[in-house]
Amino acid sequence: MKESLLESLGWTKYIGSESEMHTGEPVLARDIRRYALAIDDLNPIYFDENAAKKGKYGGLAAPLNYITWAVGVPGSEKPVGELGEDGLATFVGVPDIPNVWDLGWVRGGDELEFFKPVYVNDRVSVKGKIVDMKEKDGKSGKLLFVTSEFTYTNQNGELLAKHRVTMIATPRKE
Amino acid sequence: MKDQVFFEDVIVGQQIPSLEKKVTTINILMYVSAVWLIDRIHFDQPYAIQRRGLPDVVAPGNMAGDYYAQLLSDWAGEKGEVRKTSFQFRNFMVPGDVLTCGGKVVNKYVGGGKGRVELELWIINQGNVNCVPGKGVVELPMRG
Repeated sequence: MKESLLESLGWTKYIGSESEMHTGEPVLARDIRRYALAIDDLNPIYFDENAAKKGKYGGLAAPLNYITWAVGVPGSEKPVGELGEDGLATFVGVPDIPNVWDLGWVRGGDELEFFKPVYVNDRVSVKGKIVDMKEKDGKSGKLLFVTSEFTYTNQNGELLAKHRVTMIATPRKE
Repeated sequence: MKDQVFFEDVIVGQQIPSLEKKVTTINILMYVSAVWLIDRIHFDQPYAIQRRGLPDVVAPGNMAGDYYAQLLSDWAGEKGEVRKTSFQFRNFMVPGDVLTCGGKVVNKYVGGGKGRVELELWIINQGNVNCVPGKGVVELPMRG
């Protein structure tokens, strides 16, 4: 019998577990504008209210992938003294699993489904769920694949998007 | 305004107009500040190289999703909708990179009265490396 890393970590029971729902503050026109500048997407529908009204969304809306940031990362706004060496406060993508930092993590891949846009002044909510955990034998030991799904809704309960993130973990080198 | 692409006009195998993106430390800083992504691998070069073994500061992987969203939104036009993107991280995107984001139609079908097009996507750097291979689904209007 090969030893299962997932079982030795005691993680299998977290498959299907859900995080609490988090609701963000209203999305500002400034948030949208700065985001569009950062990704260098200069479509006037992200900058100019009149252009936005005449455009496909009928009002100021954010570039599609902004949805993944519309709530903010829960727990990320902490004083400098409370942050880890790399600056991160929480682990993005895998909520509430014990000993998560015993492993080294890299982002494997993303999958996004878009249903409705995020408009200025929207209050977006997110709920996360661990949908899958798998392990494979890699060149330098076991690899763990943890897939989380985040579901985004707006203040009217409308489904905006789903975002699945797969993180890959390897045991840390001593 | 550019011409609207219609489902009927799409040919399986055709490429869509590509999008060029230059990765700069300024864009990375704008991004991490805009979304409060406080992670030193994106803005602290000595830390990224010496402590984390990275080639340089690296662009947040999320930006690949934004590039694909823009690539497909621009192509889908006012009457089209981007429905899905998926992508895997294979190579880091670093400052100085000139990225060509592109796609090729691999399938088209009508489902639920809507024209849907599936694409294979790529973000290729100046060294001809596909950094973030992906896939997309776009809904296009039909001429009727």
